[in-house]
Amino acid sequence: MSSTATAQQTKWWNGGRSPFNLEYGKLMMWYFLMSDAFTFGAFLISYGTIRFSQNFWPDPNVVFNAFPGTGHTNLPLAFVSLMTFILIASSVTMVLAVHEGHRSNRAGVMKWMLWTILGGIAFLSCQAWEWHHLITGEHGVFVDGKIELASQTMGGNPWGRHVDPAVVQQALTVSSHETLVHLAHEYPKEGTTVALDALEKMPNDQLTGIINLEHAHIREKGPIAFGGYFFGITGFHGFHVFSGVIINIIMLTMTAKGVFDRRGHYLMIEKAGLYWHFVDLVWVFVFLCFYLV
Amino acid sequence: MEHQAIASEVTFHHHVPGSENVRRIIKTFWLLSIITIIELGMGFTIYFIHKNPDFSHGLVLGIKGAIVILSLAKAFYIVSIFMHLGDEIRNMIMTIVVPLMLFIWFIAAFLWDGNSYKNLRNNYDKHFQERTTEKKGGH
Amino acid sequence: MSNDANMHGHAGVITHHEVHYDEHHVHHHKETFITKYVFSQDHKTIGKQFLITGIIWAIIGGLFSVLFRLQLGFPEQTFPILETFFGKWAKGGVIQPEFYYALVTIHGTVLVFFVLTAGLSGTFANLLIPLQIGARDMASPFLNMLSYWFFFIASVIMFSSLFVHTGPASGGWTSYPPLSALHQAGQGSKIGMDLWLVSMAMFIVSSLLGGLNYIATILNMRTKGMSMTRMPLTMWAILFTAILGVLSFPVLLSGAILLLFDRNLGTSFYLSDIYVAGQILPNEGGSAILFQHLFWFFGHPEVYIILLPAMGMVSEILSVNSRKPIFGYMAMVGSLFAICILAFLVWAHHMFVTGLNPFLGAFFVLLTLLIAVPSAIKVFNWLTTLWRGNIRFTPATLFAIGFVSLFISGGLTGLFLGNSTIDIHLHDTKFVVAHFHIVMGVASMFGMFAGIYQWFPKMFGRFLNHTLGYIHFWVTMVGAYLIFWPMHYEGLAGVPRRYLDLRDWHSFNKFDDLNKMITVVSIIVFAVQLMFVFNFFYSIFKGRKVRTQNPWGSNTLEWTTPINPGHGNWPGEIPEVHRWAYDYAKDGREFIPQAEPVGANESKDH
Repeated sequence: MSSTATAQQTKWWNGGRSPFNLEYGKLMMWYFLMSDAFTFGAFLISYGTIRFSQNFWPDPNVVFNAFPGTGHTNLPLAFVSLMTFILIASSVTMVLAVHEGHRSNRAGVMKWMLWTILGGIAFLSCQAWEWHHLITGEHGVFVDGKIELASQTMGGNPWGRHVDPAVVQQALTVSSHETLVHLAHEYPKEGTTVALDALEKMPNDQLTGIINLEHAHIREKGPIAFGGYFFGITGFHGFHVFSGVIINIIMLTMTAKGVFDRRGHYLMIEKAGLYWHFVDLVWVFVFLCFYLV
Repeated sequence: MEHQAIASEVTFHHHVPGSENVRRIIKTFWLLSIITIIELGMGFTIYFIHKNPDFSHGLVLGIKGAIVILSLAKAFYIVSIFMHLGDEIRNMIMTIVVPLMLFIWFIAAFLWDGNSYKNLRNNYDKHFQERTTEKKGGH
Repeated sequence: MSNDANMHGHAGVITHHEVHYDEHHVHHHKETFITKYVFSQDHKTIGKQFLITGIIWAIIGGLFSVLFRLQLGFPEQTFPILETFFGKWAKGGVIQPEFYYALVTIHGTVLVFFVLTAGLSGTFANLLIPLQIGARDMASPFLNMLSYWFFFIASVIMFSSLFVHTGPASGGWTSYPPLSALHQAGQGSKIGMDLWLVSMAMFIVSSLLGGLNYIATILNMRTKGMSMTRMPLTMWAILFTAILGVLSFPVLLSGAILLLFDRNLGTSFYLSDIYVAGQILPNEGGSAILFQHLFWFFGHPEVYIILLPAMGMVSEILSVNSRKPIFGYMAMVGSLFAICILAFLVWAHHMFVTGLNPFLGAFFVLLTLLIAVPSAIKVFNWLTTLWRGNIRFTPATLFAIGFVSLFISGGLTGLFLGNSTIDIHLHDTKFVVAHFHIVMGVASMFGMFAGIYQWFPKMFGRFLNHTLGYIHFWVTMVGAYLIFWPMHYEGLAGVPRRYLDLRDWHSFNKFDDLNKMITVVSIIVFAVQLMFVFNFFYSIFKGRKVRTQNPWGSNTLEWTTPINPGHGNWPGEIPEVHRWAYDYAKDGREFIPQAEPVGANESKDH
């Protein structure tokens, strides 16, 4: 068709038409996403600034090494890979929905929108599990000469510097009974699986003998800002995914009601699509900054 | 297909032929997946390098740099193919890409000052340095 | 999102290349009082809403400055009437320290955000964009309406914070942590600070909704023939203002969200090694400088968000009223563009004394001083526009010339402060107060006044009273210089800002009379602003009626609409544009409107 010829000859900036050959709604969506990119950019750059101002930063391979249903098996980055693929896949289904929209194929749009929504919900579920795992998973932390239990929260970080095994051995002798029970229960030496109530009745020195220090990875407290940024930024991203799912559900309902067929175009699907892809795009950088480097 | 005007300000509509478009989308999907897998592989490499107590910081930095470049490639494909920016006219591409250049100085200055803050504290607060620097042979 | 699509959705098929603007607004039903004056989607009404809300805030913000000036000028005196009004905040008729800091903080916040951002660009972007580019309304009138109402919500929250038990935010308009991050740091760091942050978040949403609309409208909705380089400079200025806002406000949003987290969720983004109120805090590893970086990455563009619309309007007003084409149109556009870019690159010049890496600081010095180039270009072009012009000294012209004067005076002191070595001496002194009040505060106010006097006839179909206008101008002009000029000397002598009482500092006693003079002048200037407010509201109802469509003999499109344009602006077709906006004194004609086709024998453009 003659599009390319038109593109070259048109005086785009002379008024009476869009210089971008776009209707205003899509243009505003693009500019909104640009400003949102600066919101996320500011978050991630702040994270980078704090990280650059620290001598020590936790290794993501150590922090994110769990997978649902596998206990303490060391699977670095496996779960977040799954999350990433879910999001990429949902981006593909979204772009297919937009494609069907171009062809005004209502059934096609609905099918792919449904898959996109499911992908979004799956991603959010994964994120919920990961947050839950980090917040509730208690680790032994070396504080003031003894071992305490701590999890990854907004105000604390158990992924600090390694502690010398000899120091850990010494610290265990002065640590509380509850801490030792927890460690012995979670990280028993091979062949010494003991029931929890039995552990609770054991004396401290016997508990110490059961704990597998290789697995327990006793560390110092790490940089506090790690948790704040992790929950803050993935939370803000998750909020975007959530609102994207809501928008997609609204779009699906409108499609089902035939609103776009009556309007003669599926422009709203395109705009929702832009938003959804942006969420995927942000994840590329969240994934990069928190999990990979 | 019949031209349906979306809005009066739009001069022409471009349509990528159906099957070709789908093929392109699927191709991009595989591309993104492969890049992600390569990135993960590099992430694991860092993990194993870290296991060695005297690992080369330069090597780790190099791998991290490569991961950043790969991520930018992913971003390019998402914006260009999935968000169809590559199909828009040049004016549109420029109006999106040019403002993003601001990120260069944004990132450089912030990280530079973050690093400088660390050096200041290490110089003037030896307690901070001693408390937070990884001891030799830590891993 | 769906609503505006409905509004603009076309049922019929339109062949492209043809502009059927008149179809846009056929769906309007009978307007009730609510849809016409309250939840209006008409850009002109929204502009007036922004303006009137801005005026109310300006009165509050101005009054606050008078109150703290009383303290600075007459620290030994008691004012029992203050206790009558403010109770414990002015115990014994003396302004208490917490009250003083609350006054300063709210004065800054209100003037910067609510008056000079919303009140200035909100008003004139809304009023002028569709009128000057030839559009029926904004791209999305619905989002435009939301933009005002988010501003309204922000206003209500900020206003309510004035009445909470512990008082409003008191950490300065920049609200640096840790002062702003810790509830126990002071009265003003309690609930008032949370309300301040939430209000700011609402305000950011408002600015973004507005800014996106302004950009999309200017770029996408220009009438036929209105190429970018035919636009009046007001439009260019507002376009760049909106771009600045859309790219910088999100960064403030991020900074504010992190601050809210630090305040209420126990995170450590900005906090480290703190001992406060007898307590060692567990927060560790954050950086207070990070907040300053985030704040000023937004804050410096914000300065230009305030200034650029004033520059644009001044350019237009000077050209119209000196009956001459603007001098160096493309240079004006180019310098606006350069300022817009540089605005994003210089933020850390506010932070030279924070412990910023001095080597990095050197880059910021260089980039900062570069701003002098486009600024000087603009000043020269304004002066050459006036040069040998047939100047009509209307109040608008006077205020525009006053703007140029203030911009020169305030801009030159910017060169002092942009050099880190001098800034180390001048930082946090009255010199800084004088600099930014002249160049950004008063100058932009002058731009705003110029705009109001110039476009009041378009807004309300009546003129403002010019006699009151002349009094308003001369008192404000002389007053502004009397207030701020001496502060330079105080600052050079080392008088710090943010101190409510300098009596113990004996070397500064010599400024006592000067400080009294400044306070007296500021009261007079404030009273004259109230006179302007009276003029404004009186003239809406009783002002001299506009009898002709184009009272200023102006070229731009807004004067081709009826005297009181309805929603949709032009009753018939939107006029097509055939020339740039500045064909004044050409071919022996006083002015040639943009909509007039180019004649056969017309001489070539510039």
